[in-house]
Amino acid sequence: MSQPATLEAHHHDGPGTDVFGFWIYILTDCVLFGSLFATFIVLNYPGAYGPQLKEFIQLPYVLTETFLLLGSNFTFGLAMMTFYKRKMAWSKLFLLLTIILGAGFVLMEINEFYHFVHEGYSWQVSGAASAFYGLVATHGLHVSVGLLWILVMIIQLSVTKNVRLNEKRMIMLGIFWNFLDIVWIFVFTTVYLQGAL
Amino acid sequence: MSNIDAPESDFGTGKKTFSVYLTGIVLCALLTMMPFYIVMHSVLSRTNTLFAIYGFAILQFFVQVICFLRLNSKTEQGRTNIMAFIFTVIILVVVVGGSLWIMWNLNSRMM
Repeated sequence: MSQPATLEAHHHDGPGTDVFGFWIYILTDCVLFGSLFATFIVLNYPGAYGPQLKEFIQLPYVLTETFLLLGSNFTFGLAMMTFYKRKMAWSKLFLLLTIILGAGFVLMEINEFYHFVHEGYSWQVSGAASAFYGLVATHGLHVSVGLLWILVMIIQLSVTKNVRLNEKRMIMLGIFWNFLDIVWIFVFTTVYLQGAL
Repeated sequence: MSNIDAPESDFGTGKKTFSVYLTGIVLCALLTMMPFYIVMHSVLSRTNTLFAIYGFAILQFFVQVICFLRLNSKTEQGRTNIMAFIFTVIILVVVVGGSLWIMWNLNSRMM
């Protein structure tokens, strides 16, 4: 089946249904993160068994990470805006900036984990440590997949000539990327700020 | 650009304007720096700090949902999105709040 025919066959469902379906997926992901948060809060009570997370947290480092992710959200917003103005070159440039900022976030997080493990806060030392890596790394994994998706999006913006189709993809990618920053607000509040108290 | 003349659709995610994104990033930057400042310089007592950081987190959550996610009730799809969103918030309150309640209770009974 040729590409236009496939699109036509799906047309009565409408791209709106696709976006709503994707929204439902994002909301189920919220539930996944919710259970990871609950696990972390339960296991990481003050005075829990094993080394204390508090002694390892470097708040200025986490603040830098937070601003990288926040900045990448802003540049994605600009990519979305320029896309709607049909300035595809600018849109791709901003998507590239988003990848650079997002990759900076992921690299900083990997570096942080590396140091934590070397200083004695590895995932097997306690239930609290397992919950910490489970929660933060699940978020990091989502960001990494998001980076890959943005890379694919840049290629699709160049290859696909159907603007409606790209519009739908951009909207879904935008929901995904914003959702990751929203989850990060609660990660830095619950894990790092509350953990450092 | 085959069908550029077709009406724009935003799938219930609102219009994209620079001013909204700028407002979003400035507010989020402020709402991020405030809790970090409070914790790093320990300006408040422990209980007040907890209230403050979660207050800022919830404020920033709403700023992000409104300015970046562009959730709104202007279109039918936007309203459907919000209904699903509220449902998820209820599920999260049950899952997270319920777990903490149960574990807290068990912990105090073990004492």
